[in-house]
Amino acid sequence: MSTTVTPPAVEVTRPPAAKDRPWAAVLALARFEARELLLHVPVFVFLLLYLGYSVYSLVAAERDGMADYPVLQDADRAPQSAPQLVALAVLLCVNHAVLRSRRHGTERHFGVLPVRPWRRTLAHVLSVVPFAAVVAVVVTAEFAWAALKPGAVGHGSVAELAVAPLTVLLAGVVGVLLARLIHSAFAAPLFVVGLYVLLVVISVASDGTSPHWLTWLSPVVPETGGAPLPSALLGRPAAWHALYLAGLTVTLLGAALLVSGRRTRPVAVVTAVALAATAAGVAGQSPGDSRQLTEARTVASVSPEKDQSCALRAGVRYCAFPEWTGRTADWAAVVERVERLAGGHHDRLTVRQRVEARYGLTGDAALVPLAGPGQITVGTEWGGNRVPEFAVGVASVLVAGSEKEASGICDARAVTVMWLALAAQPDPMSAFAHVRLDDGTEGPGAVLAPTEPLAMSAEQTRMVRELLHRPSEDVTSAVRAGWTELTSPETSLTRVAHLLGVRAPEKEENRDDPCAA
Amino acid sequence: MTIRARRERRPGLPVFGALIRPTVRALPRGPLLAGAVTGLLVAALPRVLPDLGTPETGAVLLRVSALAMALGLAFLLDDPSRVMTETTPAGRPLRVHLRAALLAPLAALAWSGALLLIPRDARPPLADVTLEAVTLTATALALAAATVRTSAEPEPGRAAAVGLLALVVAGMLLPDRWGLFVAPGSPQWAAAHGRWAAVLAAAVIVWAVSVPEPLRRGGPRTGGIRASAGC
Repeated sequence: MSTTVTPPAVEVTRPPAAKDRPWAAVLALARFEARELLLHVPVFVFLLLYLGYSVYSLVAAERDGMADYPVLQDADRAPQSAPQLVALAVLLCVNHAVLRSRRHGTERHFGVLPVRPWRRTLAHVLSVVPFAAVVAVVVTAEFAWAALKPGAVGHGSVAELAVAPLTVLLAGVVGVLLARLIHSAFAAPLFVVGLYVLLVVISVASDGTSPHWLTWLSPVVPETGGAPLPSALLGRPAAWHALYLAGLTVTLLGAALLVSGRRTRPVAVVTAVALAATAAGVAGQSPGDSRQLTEARTVASVSPEKDQSCALRAGVRYCAFPEWTGRTADWAAVVERVERLAGGHHDRLTVRQRVEARYGLTGDAALVPLAGPGQITVGTEWGGNRVPEFAVGVASVLVAGSEKEASGICDARAVTVMWLALAAQPDPMSAFAHVRLDDGTEGPGAVLAPTEPLAMSAEQTRMVRELLHRPSEDVTSAVRAGWTELTSPETSLTRVAHLLGVRAPEKEENRDDPCAA
Repeated sequence: MTIRARRERRPGLPVFGALIRPTVRALPRGPLLAGAVTGLLVAALPRVLPDLGTPETGAVLLRVSALAMALGLAFLLDDPSRVMTETTPAGRPLRVHLRAALLAPLAALAWSGALLLIPRDARPPLADVTLEAVTLTATALALAAATVRTSAEPEPGRAAAVGLLALVVAGMLLPDRWGLFVAPGSPQWAAAHGRWAAVLAAAVIVWAVSVPEPLRRGGPRTGGIRASAGC
């Protein structure tokens, strides 16, 4: 006789203990999924493409010359568009990753693990965070690069900088939620196509004048095209928009957790609060331009002197919007160089900074020439091509007396104007090509200026080219000696050629010729 | 030996006929239907919103419609039973081309519907847009075939769809000089459609190379599903 003794079963499950760290599994899973996400072809390629594009645009902008004088309220929203590529790839591939267990039939095996489905959902959302962080770092670096330039003016906004990383996060959460709601592989690509159609419909139905609230429902609203405006005139509800994006992200995250089975009070409360924040963001960003903003824009466009402060430098008044007062020295350098060539034959000059803000951030309207004597317009952009253009403006006011008069220059004075403007540049010939609309230094053409362009005939172009090849001192003394005749609209081109010592045109041109061209 | 066995395995017409019904049953109806319906809905938008009836928008909507249909057709090669079907005497080219042949008339019908839904004034040159649609579909199919060829994935549709979408986005980012998605009336239109034809040729080549089963197992097949076209 023997008794069968059954040993007690080994305990394989035990109640949760305090030393358990349930979040360690979530974080480990998030780390793993983040690495997997990076190795997906679309994410990897688009991330590389984004980084490459960011570096390329930085280098390309450096060559242009305008990058040395960034306007920070524009620089903060410039890097918003490109990260949408990363966001798109993240949306598709996170969706793919969440559906992986279902596709491989491992959902049942995961079902017996202590890590609950909602924790896995959370881990998938957390796996997007490193990508949002990379985008945040790139965007911050781009902005810091601009902000650290000595020529930077204006004020950036944190809310604008937050948009790019929030877009990536939002895309990740949308991908996860879609996978939890629709188990089909087709949902995410179809969603992207639908979203694209929606954006097309919004942008077309609007035709540029879309309802403000509809435009701002789109995650990224770049609003580029016009010249930079003072930050008080931007009228972008950037903070509300960031709140909207953040609220939407958290709302959708809450929805994903609720769908994955985490139906607890805290999750519901957080989701409700986030929903309220989203609604507040939408409500805050929806109203169009307020009356005060429209009035302020009109004042800044029509009578900028009300907003500006002026400084006197070497007998010239420089009036600028408060954010641009630091640029006075750069403008003064150009004005002084042109004045030195002209030999001080002028009345009192005023350089006035002007903007056309009435058509908003996307409107690129030309500035109307100023009528006051000795008044010179300068825009809000500087560096690169804007420098010789401003020099053309200064020279034409010195020659013609006022911008209004200068806009009608259809005679030989154009030669003097162009020589004054270009001889003051470090590299006159390349500046000549750049200020010309056709980028050439031969034949008739229009010359860009801060206000109205200046028309030049083929003979005048040839004379300017010849003058620029002569020693600057000779021409300077000739200009100073013949100033009265050179600045008179009655003087013929042959006489100007004689005064300045270049080959005269073979036949006197028709007076109206340059303007007709 | 293997090679000879394969050469002798030329299924005749009776096999073809016998395959039709099971193939119809095995078609991935969901994605195909969803793609076609989405495509038609997108093309129907100008009928609802007359603002969209401009030639530029018409071209954009037709392209989106073609893309939606191509995304649906990317799932054409999905065959959950691939592990079993690949050992049958009827080889993969036969089965795949049978599927394609069964769907081609329906796809053509859906595309004609989309073309007709766009208002007459907003329609871009039909032959050129159809070339774009055919290219998108061929690219989707080529991606799916390449995924099947290079991986053990029985359902390449998802990877092909994501890959197609990524390629389209990359195509939209191309500079004007090499652009594919040009607006109607642009001077680049003819040149762009030359490029579309080149893409189509490339897709057909990839398809032709990828569809036949490899003679031996091994190589990339053991590498698992990593080598797929999409995610």
